[in-house]
Formats: sequence, structure tokens, C-alpha cells
Amino acid sequence: MLNDLLLRLRSLFRKETVETELDEELRFHFENQVSKFIHSGMTPEEARRRARLEFGGMEQVKEEHREARGVNLIETLFLDIRYGFRILGRTPVITLVAILSLALGIGANTAIFSLIDTVMLRMLPVNKPEELMQVRLRDQRSTSEEANPTFTNPLWEQLRNRQDVFSGVFAWSTSRFNLARGGAVSYANGIFASGEFFSTLGIRPAAGRLIVASDDQRGCAGVTVLSYGFWQDHFGGAQTAVGSTLSLDNHSFEIVGVSAPGFYGVDVGNKFDVAIPVCAAALFDGKRSRLDHRSWWWLMIIGRPKTGISGDQLKARLEVLSPQVSAAALPQNWKPKDQQDFLKRTFVTTPVATGTSDLRREFKQPLNILMAIVGLVLLIACANIASLMLARAAARQKEIAVRKALGASRARLIRQLLTECVLLSSAGAVLGILFAEWGNALLVRYLSTARNKVFLDLSLDWRILSFTATVAIFTGFLFGIVPAFRSTRVSLTSAMKGSQTAEGERRTKFRPGKWIVASQVALSLVLLVAAGLFLRSLAKLATLDIGFDRNNVLIVRADLNVAKVPEEQQPVMLEQIERQLQALPGVVSVGRSVLTPISNFMWNDNLQVDSPDAPTGENAIAFFNFISPGYFQTMRTPLLAGRNFNERDTKSSPHVAVVNETLVRKFFPKVDAVGKYFRVEPEPGQTAPLIQIVGITKDAKYQSLREDTSATAFFPLAQITEHTDFNSIELRTATRPSVLVPAIQETISGLNRDIPLEFHTLAEQVDDSLVQERLLATLSIFFGGLALLLAMIGLYGALSYLVTLRRAEFGIRLALGALPGSILSLVMRDVAVVVVGGLAGGALLSFLAVRLLQKLLFGLSPHDPLTIGTAIGLLAAVALLAGYLPARRAMRVDPMVALRYE
Amino acid sequence: MDLLILRTLALEALHGWAISERIHQISSKVLFVQQGSLYPALHRLERKGWIKARWGTSENNRRAKFYALTTQGRKQLELEESTWRKLAAAVAQILETT
Repeated sequence: MLNDLLLRLRSLFRKETVETELDEELRFHFENQVSKFIHSGMTPEEARRRARLEFGGMEQVKEEHREARGVNLIETLFLDIRYGFRILGRTPVITLVAILSLALGIGANTAIFSLIDTVMLRMLPVNKPEELMQVRLRDQRSTSEEANPTFTNPLWEQLRNRQDVFSGVFAWSTSRFNLARGGAVSYANGIFASGEFFSTLGIRPAAGRLIVASDDQRGCAGVTVLSYGFWQDHFGGAQTAVGSTLSLDNHSFEIVGVSAPGFYGVDVGNKFDVAIPVCAAALFDGKRSRLDHRSWWWLMIIGRPKTGISGDQLKARLEVLSPQVSAAALPQNWKPKDQQDFLKRTFVTTPVATGTSDLRREFKQPLNILMAIVGLVLLIACANIASLMLARAAARQKEIAVRKALGASRARLIRQLLTECVLLSSAGAVLGILFAEWGNALLVRYLSTARNKVFLDLSLDWRILSFTATVAIFTGFLFGIVPAFRSTRVSLTSAMKGSQTAEGERRTKFRPGKWIVASQVALSLVLLVAAGLFLRSLAKLATLDIGFDRNNVLIVRADLNVAKVPEEQQPVMLEQIERQLQALPGVVSVGRSVLTPISNFMWNDNLQVDSPDAPTGENAIAFFNFISPGYFQTMRTPLLAGRNFNERDTKSSPHVAVVNETLVRKFFPKVDAVGKYFRVEPEPGQTAPLIQIVGITKDAKYQSLREDTSATAFFPLAQITEHTDFNSIELRTATRPSVLVPAIQETISGLNRDIPLEFHTLAEQVDDSLVQERLLATLSIFFGGLALLLAMIGLYGALSYLVTLRRAEFGIRLALGALPGSILSLVMRDVAVVVVGGLAGGALLSFLAVRLLQKLLFGLSPHDPLTIGTAIGLLAAVALLAGYLPARRAMRVDPMVALRYE
Repeated sequence: MDLLILRTLALEALHGWAISERIHQISSKVLFVQQGSLYPALHRLERKGWIKARWGTSENNRRAKFYALTTQGRKQLELEESTWRKLAAAVAQILETT
């Protein structure tokens, strides 16, 4: 065994010596044989001839001998790689095109895969993430996965105090805090972390200490722990940061420590900058603190079960705990039926090793679709290179024949050709990883919006690298295997003679080429159809009549609570701000409201109408907004009937509302709604005032562009029932909205320097709600275009190859009097067969595939005939063009040149 | 083939050409080793550890590679010889009885 290994190693590392020795040995044999024949009376020439005949091919023997040495595989691999480099280097343009298209294909796959890896597959970088369980509240209707993940603080406190199944359990909530004291806002991503947050996760401090249980007690003073990144960016990693104070929403927090690098929180897609204890929420909330609020759902809970507690035990124990905890945290003001439902809820757990993520929920399907799209692009690129390889194999026929004659076995030749292919794909992969890095940065920026910065830790890990390596090798084989088998099946004599192959052979030789091109056309069609559908969806959403004019509207959020303006003075101050802004040059009109459209916030409740067939229960829901008289004019939402609000609608005047068409249709289907009354459903034991409808507006979108417009009621800001932190000022501007920002800042800080201000345009806000649609449309169009280009190159290449093969035939036909036009139609017939075949296959494929897209489309069926028709037309036109160029060349073959070549 | 080579080498160390000549001679010129296949076979045996090779000087004073049996090779030869004898005897018996 050892002997064997030594010999193998010797032949591997001392190849030269081994080769010379072999040479010498064989020569020695040969010469002995020759001299033997000479002794027996032959002439030297005769003797040599005999010896050679007896011996057989010297090179074959050497090759066989090398086989027997056993290291051949590794050794020839090096040889093949060297040779592969030389061969590839000889046709730099083809090689470059191949590597580039592979790099695009592999890079796109790597980029999307690493997004999927980061968003969906990667474990949290914490201690034993696989043990962590997220606690959820399940009602009778939902499964564990759908169960509500949010809790009120009373529920959390009860659960924490009563549970005996977790060795560590924590609650947390994400929030954002303004770091600036007054003026333009500067937000930090914050988390409220309960006392055992860091200890349960097993995070260590990089400086100072982390939040511990004693920090998280009712009535706590504010302390904060910084993330490592925030510490580096804002404090330069200085030790003196620990002990200093940080202003969060105008409250001072003492920095007690910094968490370890590489920990970004448990929510994938976000990174936290500062963590503060849950109890600190009381500092921000004023009188109605969310710590005691029994229907303020804001905390999420994760626990690590004690060792030895099985899944069943955990489940059983939580089921027992649930009614006790719920009873102790029952919201008193709920309706009896809701209270009963509340008490019936049970705690369930789901694994949370990969962290929580809204991003995951929102982008799971789009990412999977993108993965499929880039997979198709790579397939098309492979097909392209396969036809390239086929064409090149034809050009190398002589070389392959020579090598075969010199003793190379077919397996050996195939191995060599495949090595070249894998070499190509590996080069593509290396370049592809660079593309992916670059593309990923772009993608993350694309996912981010002005108000929601997405953060993903997209560092390369073993999973991504092994994915890319697998893809590279797989693609190498994929595009190499057919050409390798084809091209090594050469007839020695005809190849050596250098003649063109016979007619029959030519036909079969080109058959794989046709198949390849047809499948390219088919796959491209699928991509084009998908791209078309996404584009049309986006276009429909973008041009939808949304009931307001999103252009040239600037939204200003001014938080008076943070500036510590007393609640009762706030309305006066806001009115004052509105008046002063109205006077600014460039401002067309000003409105104020609690909410703005498509902002992800809502305010809703059930309405009661005094009519026998009025909707009840969930059907009676309506969405609310509180607005100033200037709102409709600023948003350009037309009033269809009745009147707008005015300064006579005050706190003490009768309650009034303006409602939209949908609300009228729903609650007052048969009568003239103006002048009619409704109530907002009161809490038990309370009464609600009657509200009179004074006007009707056109329908406008409330939460999202995709919604069927919901019933909406607008109330005057002066008649608002409870205090709210939400305050938006809308300005319709004559010019670009951002131009006005400095003037507005100056105006408002003239009234109160401490008011934090946040600016964005209504158009941005609407656009931000379409991130997913835009991402899909942009990327699918990019990749669809790429596929089209690749298919075109493939078709062009394959046809050029066909024309080269049949040049002699065309020459003869022309010489015998065929018209050039008939040659053209001969070739174009081939093109047509391939393209029509491909289109038919592609249409069938698209028909099956697009059903998966249904949920992501808006306003059109996945079988939208216009989209499919356009895609087919475009592809056919492009394909015919790509086919025409080589066909024209066929037509212009000079008979004499073609024939002489034979 | 392997048996023949091992048998030839049982007497003394030989170089490749001599092996082919010897086989030719002792088989009364019936067996003729295709010379091309001799060397791969030699190297296969070397890898199995049944023979070893060293460089020496040939009769006509040239450097040549000599092959010799190893202990393992000798055992293998005995084994193969006995198998072969049994087989040959069995065949002979069949031929005689019919």
C-alpha cells in the first residue's frame, strides 16, 4: 500500500524523471529488438520496421503506461488545465464573451442567492440560535405560524413572572428615536429590550456592560446600550463614550455599554443602533403609558427553553399558563365577546433560529421568483456557450482527430474538453462573485426607502461560496457535455482529409444546435412574458387614479410632544404654523391632517347607522382621518357634494364629517347621504355623539394602492376625540418641493426651536409603497433583455455555423442556377422552424409558469393576451433579424470559392 | 500475462526486453508477448508491490531497468501457480474423460 502510494507520488512530483525513465526503458527495448533482428540477418531498415511493427505505437504504449501509473487523473488534470488555458487564450474574443455571459449569469444567481441566504436561511449570530423559540398568541382560527407575534406589556409581565419553562425569556420592540434636539430630525434605529435580552441571546459587551434585569424596572432612569457599528460611527469607538449621555427623542439616556460586533439585533433587515430597557417607554408616553396599556400590542417575545424540556412539555405547560396570564391582563374596556375570545387564546411557540423579519414575509415570494428568473438566465447563457462550443468543436475537428490518432482515448478527450468548460465557468464564477457583491449593494439600496433603511449582513459565507462553486461546476458540465460527446465522435479518415462531412452527418451534427437554440427561445419567452406582466402591473399601479395628486406635495411632520409643548397648546401652535407656512412664497396651499395616504398608518372603527339593513360587525368598518379645511384642496381630492369643513366647525359646534363615495355606497346605498347621521361605535357603557355628513368626496386610496378603496370618513381636526402624536402638514408647492425645506425650517424654528422636523414628498411616500413591484419589474426587465440578447447571439452563432457547414452545398446550388433568394428562403426556413418551435414551447411553459405570479400582479390576469402577444412578437422579430444576417451571407456565397475550398 | 512475468522473474532479475525474450523462449516460441503491452503490465505489477525495479547495467553495458520479484510477489506467484495447475488439471481431466 505504502509502496503504491510512494510510486504514485513519485510519478506525480517527479514527472520529468519518470517520463525520461520510461522513454529510456522503451528505447532500450526497441534497440535490443533491432539488434536482435540485425543479428538474424536483416538489413537495419528492415530490422527497425519489424521492431516497430511488433512493438505497436510507441506513444500508445506510453499513454497506456501512464494510465497504469494511476496518478493520471490528477496529472492529466493539470495538463488539461494548462492546455485549456492555451486553447481558450487562442480565441480571446469568444472566451471573453463566454466568460462575461457566464459571469453575468452566475453573478446574478449568487447575488439573489445571497439575499435569500441572508433573509431566509442564515442563523442569528447568537449563542445556540437553534434553541430559541418565539412565543405567539394563537386564537382558535389561526395556526401556530399565523399566530399573532405581538403582546401588550401587561401580558408580557404576567408571562415573564409566571413562566417556569424558559431558562431565559425576553421581550423586545423596535422603534426609532430622534437623536437631534430640535430642527431636522436624525433618526437612530432603537430597540426596547427587556432585562434578559442580551443574557438570553448570549451577547457579550464590547465595552462597558449590557442591559441587565435591574435596569428594566418600573420607574427606571434611562440607560442605553449602543451597537458596535453605531459606537464606531458616532463615537469613533472611544472608551469615553461609556458614561456619557445620548439624547433620544429629547430625553437623556446614559450610555452604559456597547454590544459585541456582528450583532445587529434579532430582526433581519434592520440593525439596531441603540437599545433601551422596556421600562423606559414610560418616559416617552406621558400620562397613558404603554407599560400599563392593555390593548397596545407592541412587544415580541423570544425564549430559550430549559434544557430537558421537550417540545410537548413546553406546549402543554404554556397551554396551562395561557388562561392565567390572559385573565391577569384582560383589557377591561373590551366588549364581552372580544374579552371571551381574548381569554381563549393560547401561547404557542415557533422556532426562531433565523430571527424575525418583515422583510422575509414581504419578499419571500419575490425573491423566489427572482431566483427562478436568474436561474433561467443562467440556463440561457449555458445554452449559448454550448452552441458556441459546438461551433468551435467543428473548427477543432482536425486537432481532435490528430489526438485520437496519436492514441488519446475518447474518454480522455471528453475529459479534456470538459476541463476547458469547467475552466470557463470557474473564471465566470470568480468574476460573477465580484458582480454579485456589486449587485447586492445595489439591490439592498433598492429595497431601502427614505424612511426605511434596509440593512442586511451580506458578507460571503461558506454557503454562498459553495453555492457558487456548485453552480460553476454544474454549468461547466451543462454546456460542455453535449459538445464534448459530439465533437469526439469524429471519423478519422474524413477529418484527416480535411474534407467537409457528408450530407447526412451534417444534418445530425447540427441537430443539437437547433435544439439548443429552440430551448433558448422558449426560455427567453418565459422571461419576457414575466417581465411584461410585472411591467404592466407596475404601470397600472403608477397610473392608477388614486384620488389625490401626489406630485408637488411636501409632507412635514412636526412632533410637538418631543418639543414638550403642552397638549392643550398644541392645536393653537399648529394652526399658527399652518398660517405662517401659507404665507411663504412658492406655497400654493397648506393642509394639516393626522394621517397621510399610503403611510402604513391607519385609524379605523365600526360605524353605526340608524337603518335596518346597515352593515354590522366587520362589514361596518370605516377608516378615519382628521383634517384641516385646507386638506382636500392641497391633496386635490375633489368634493362631489355638500361642503368642505370651515373655521365654524369647532370643538363645541355639532359634529360633522365628510365621507367618500365608497362609504356612501356601503352605508347609504339608496338615499342622498348629505345631511344624514352616523355614530362611531362606542366602548361598552359609553355613548358616542351623532355625526352629520356634510360633504362627499371622490374615492382616494388610504393604505395601499392595491386596496379596493375602503370606506373613509374625514373629521375636522378641531373635533378630534383623543390626543395623538401624529401630525402632518401638507404643502402644495409651485416648484420642486425640496426647494422649500430651508424656508419651512426657518419659519417653524422661529416659533419653537425644539420642534423636530421630518420632510418627505407625497410622491416619495407613494413610490415607497411600490418597492416590491418596482424591484420585480426592473430586475425582470433587465434579465428579460439579457435573455433576449443572449438568445439572439445564440441564434446568430448557430446559424452562422450552419451556413459554414453548408457552404459547399450552397455553392453547388448557386452554380447549378439556384436563385440567391431561394437559398435565403432555404436558410430562413430553418430559422422559422427553430423559432416557431421555441415560441410554441415557450408559450406553453409561460402559460404554466405565470400562474405562480398571480398574487404579485395588479389589475391584469397572468394570461394577459396583450403581454404574451407582445412578448411573442418581439422575440420573433428579434430572432428573425438574428437569423437573417447569416442567411444573407449564405445567399452571397461565391460558388467558385466554396467549391475550391472542398 | 501476470503469471508469465512473475514466473520469468522467479529465477533472476531481468529487464523488460529480456523478459519478453525469455517468455518467448521458454514457451517454446508458442507464446508471444505483444511487446507494447508488456510495459504497462510491468508497471501495474510494480504498483501492486509484487515486483520491484532498479536501474542496473545490461549485458551490453547500457543502463537498463531490471525487475525482480518481491517476497509478496513470490507468494503471489505460488498462489497463482497452484490455481493455474488446479485449473489446468481440471481441464485436462475433462478432456481425457470425454
